[in-house]
This record gives sequence, C-alpha cells and structure tokens, in this order.
Amino acid sequence: MKLVTAVVKPFKLDEVKVALTAIGVSGMTVTQARGFGRQGGHIEIYRGKEYEFDFVDKIRIEVACTDEQVDQVLDAIVSAARTGSVGDGKAWVTDVERVVRVRTNERGPEAL
Amino acid sequence: MLAVTNIPYPSWLNPADNTWQLVAATLVGLMSLPGLAVLYGGLVRKKWIVNTMLMVFVGFSATLVVWMLWGYNLAFGPQSHFGPTGSFWSGFIGHFTPLSTAGAEQGQAVSGANTLIPFHFSTATLAYFQFVFAAITPLLFLGALVGRLKFKAWLLIVPLWITLVYCVNAALLWGGGFFAQKGAVDYSGGYVIHLSAGVAAFVGAAIIGPRRWQDRENAFPSNLMMVAVGAGILWLGWNGFNGGDPFYAGADAASAVLNTNVATAVGVLTWLLMDMFFSRQKKPTFLGALNGMLCGLVAITPSAGWVNGTGAIFVGLIAATIVWFAWNYLSRIRPFSKVDDAMGVVYTHGIAGLVGGLLVGILADPGMVQYGVTGAHFKGAGSFSVGGWFYTHSFHQLWEQFLAALWIIGWTAVGTTIVFTVVKYLVGGLRETDEVLSLGDVAIHEEEAFPEPTFGEPLMTPSHIHPDNV
Repeated sequence: MKLVTAVVKPFKLDEVKVALTAIGVSGMTVTQARGFGRQGGHIEIYRGKEYEFDFVDKIRIEVACTDEQVDQVLDAIVSAARTGSVGDGKAWVTDVERVVRVRTNERGPEAL
Repeated sequence: MLAVTNIPYPSWLNPADNTWQLVAATLVGLMSLPGLAVLYGGLVRKKWIVNTMLMVFVGFSATLVVWMLWGYNLAFGPQSHFGPTGSFWSGFIGHFTPLSTAGAEQGQAVSGANTLIPFHFSTATLAYFQFVFAAITPLLFLGALVGRLKFKAWLLIVPLWITLVYCVNAALLWGGGFFAQKGAVDYSGGYVIHLSAGVAAFVGAAIIGPRRWQDRENAFPSNLMMVAVGAGILWLGWNGFNGGDPFYAGADAASAVLNTNVATAVGVLTWLLMDMFFSRQKKPTFLGALNGMLCGLVAITPSAGWVNGTGAIFVGLIAATIVWFAWNYLSRIRPFSKVDDAMGVVYTHGIAGLVGGLLVGILADPGMVQYGVTGAHFKGAGSFSVGGWFYTHSFHQLWEQFLAALWIIGWTAVGTTIVFTVVKYLVGGLRETDEVLSLGDVAIHEEEAFPEPTFGEPLMTPSHIHPDNV
C-alpha cells in the first residue's frame, strides 16, 4: 500500500477531489498548510508599512491507496491541480506498512 | 388636556434639549466602548487584543470615578480665581469638589464662568456629556502606547493625566478660563482632546520606549473587519461629539452634524486618492482610507459649527493632505522616526487637531453657530459667533487659535512628562518585561482573544480539578 501526499493550490481542491473520486478513491484527508517553494511569498501593506508574507497558503491532501492505483492517483492529481504556473505544488509517494479500519479492526487493503 | 403643572420637571428644563444631550453623550460614549476597543483590538497583533481592549474599558471607568470626585468641577465648575480678574491665574481651574449631592446633579446646568446663558438641562446631563469627552482622550493616546505599557501603570496614568492635563486644558478653553476669555475657540475638542492626545501620545511613547523590534516588524493587524466596526462607530458616534456641542437641539446641532460628515467623507477620499496616485505602492488601502476618515473627523472637530459646508469640505481636504504627507514623510525625520507611536496618534489626532484648530481662524463663517441664541432673532447675553480671516480679513482669530495651540502643546508635554515620570517610580517601570512582552495577553491576563480548546471530552469531573465545584 502507498500513501500519496500532495500539496496543491487551494482553489484546485474540488477539482482534485472529483478526479480522485472518478478513479475509485474512496477517501482523502485534507489539511490547510503553508509553505514556500519557487513561487515565493507576497507583500501586504498595512497603514503604509510593507509586511513580507514568506509562506503561501496551500492545501495538503493525503490519499492511501493500493500499489496498483498509485500512478492513476498521481495522474488524477496532476491533471486536476495543474495550472502551468509556478506554485502548482508537489506530490510524493511513501510506502505504508499497515492500515487498520478503526470501526472493524480490518487490516490491509480491505481497510482502505 | 394635560395641566402644565403636572409636568415632572422644572420650567427651565427643555425635554428636547435634555434628550438630545443625553443621546449625544451616549453616542460619544459608544465611540470608546466598544468603538476604540474593537478598533484598537483589530489593529494590534493577535496576542495583544485582550490587553488593549481591557485598557480601553478600564480607562473609561477610571475617568468617570475621577470625574465624579473632582474632575467635573475642576474643569467646568466655578473658577478658583487665583489671580486678579482677567489674568491667566484667574481663569486657570475650578475647584476640587465632588459631584455627589442631589442638588448638584438635579440643578440647572450653567457654564463654569457664566459666559453662556444657563442650559436647558440639568447638571447631571452636562457632567455626563463632558465626561465622555474626558474619557476618550486618554484612550486616544493609549493607541501610541499599546504593546509594552505595564497594566498597573495605566491604572495610575489615567486619573493623574485627567487631573493634571485634561481638566486644566478644558477649564482654560471650555470652562470659561483664560483662553476662552481671550477669544480662542475649540468647538468640540480639536485642541483639548485631539491635539492634547497627539502630544501625550508622542511624549508618552518617547518616555516608555519602543515596542520590541520583533513586535514592530510583525505589527500586522489582527482583524480588519473589527477595525471596520470600530471605525464606523467612531464616524457616526461623532454626530454626538460635534452635534452635542451647541448644547441645544436646534439648527446649530444639525449644521455641525452635516459639516462633520462632509469633512469626513472628503478626508476618506483625499487619503485614498493620495495613496492611489502618490504612494510607492499606488494601491487604494482600507486602512489608509480610515486614516483619512480620522483626519476629517478630528480636523472638523474644532470648527464643526463655526464653518459652513464649503469650509467643511476644505477642512477635510487640507487636513487629510497635510497629515498624509506627515504620515509618509515627516515620520522618517527625527524626532518622529525615533519614537514608536504604535498607531500614529500624533499624526491622525495631533497634527489633524492642530490643523483643524488653526483653520477656524481662517474659515469660520460668522453667519454660523451663535451660542446662547434662544429664539430666531434673539441676540441676548452671551450670544456670539466666530469669524475667520476669509470673512473678516483679520488675523485676530487665527492669532488666538495659535496661542491656544501653543499652550495645549506645551502644557500637555510638561504634564504628560510629570505624570509618566511619577508613575514610573510608583510602579517600578512603565514597561512589562521582555519575556511577558513576547507572550502578550496570556502572560498578563491569562486570557486570549480566541481561545482554542481541544475537542476531547474531559475524563475527570470538575470537582477533581477544582475542589470547590460540586
């Protein structure tokens, strides 16, 4: 099993969700996140003084899936979250040793 | 038909005047609570919201107690006459007497030096109306001191400053004191309140020292929607501030309200356009527009009933332009660049109040407010109006306005220095420690503006944690 973690632009969240649902992903976890990459921060002006906001608002999406689904999941995220400009985000894949469904105590792929 | 003798108040009392005066006073009170509390709360960093709001509420309370015990009679009571009639010391201050008896509250209100005809409401009405003006003054200079002022110090600064600085200035300009007799006018407090608050802000901030550099670098506001609420209450509350100062619910009150609003609208637009075309970033900003709003409100305060509509438009335009340049350029020059006036009170109140007060001497229209006029053509004792250079071609009024401004600046600077120095020794320093300053509200009050509890259910009954609870 794999865990796909993606950091994407906030306004792309719903498109990613629809794309993932379409390929049969049955759940995802979403967190509001801030970070920096090549995009850099921005300036805000309050009462004439400039403040640098180094970290940009992002959405962090976590999806657990089977080994076979991984590339489909990545394709879905890339096609849905891509705008082509700097700051579209990253996604990465990590191995998952074990998954358990809390309600039934099922283990392994059935718990996904 | 209702018998006249059944009306339960004396014949000198006019219910419309009394009602308007109490409503106007309440509007001015709302400018402090919650107006300034949420305006400042929205402008400071999140970690300073509670401390700032509490200082506003506490300052308001402390001023009222002082006002009842001696403040009102010191500023507006009969004068002490320390020197020969007509001399400075003759019209300096009133008496240290409390406002506590039934007769004192229920009797007819009169102006301190009897220069105006007796008012058509009671002393309690006048005392409360004058109190809300006194109360907002220290709250205005509080804006310069937030983010490092020790809470205990504030508890002492307010009563001492009201007594030594505010009451003296109010007696001299409003209570029929020396400058009032010379002919200087301050319609609703451009000098006594705003110029004085601006000077106290600057001197006080210089004595206390700057906020931590980390706090200055990260001084972004906590909540612009709360700033909008506070600023809106200030603007409309000002209808009571300036509309209440004719002391009669007549045409003068209406003109003052209208003039106040048009000067303010022009102030907003002036600052906004300056930001859009002359600032480095060329952006229209909300907080910039609110600075313009304050400039208009403050600058029209000393002249609201003395100028006509055209004059009011010029007041807003001139004040917002001058303060915009001061805010953006004067602030880079010593001593302004060396003093950490957290909210820029010296600009939007000090300089705007000074500009407004001087403009009275230029723009005041003698056809406007005539204090003491009771009927359409009555020109009896105490009725007068003010004429500026534009109408009289005389610089007399401007000169009187200039002298009064010099006094306000000088006395406020000296008085503020005395008060802050005394309090510094009484409470052992005016600043919280750096460790407390890095934490803010939680360290000082064990409260925070937005508590974030965890979502877990408690495992123990409260009696386990708090033995007193059952």
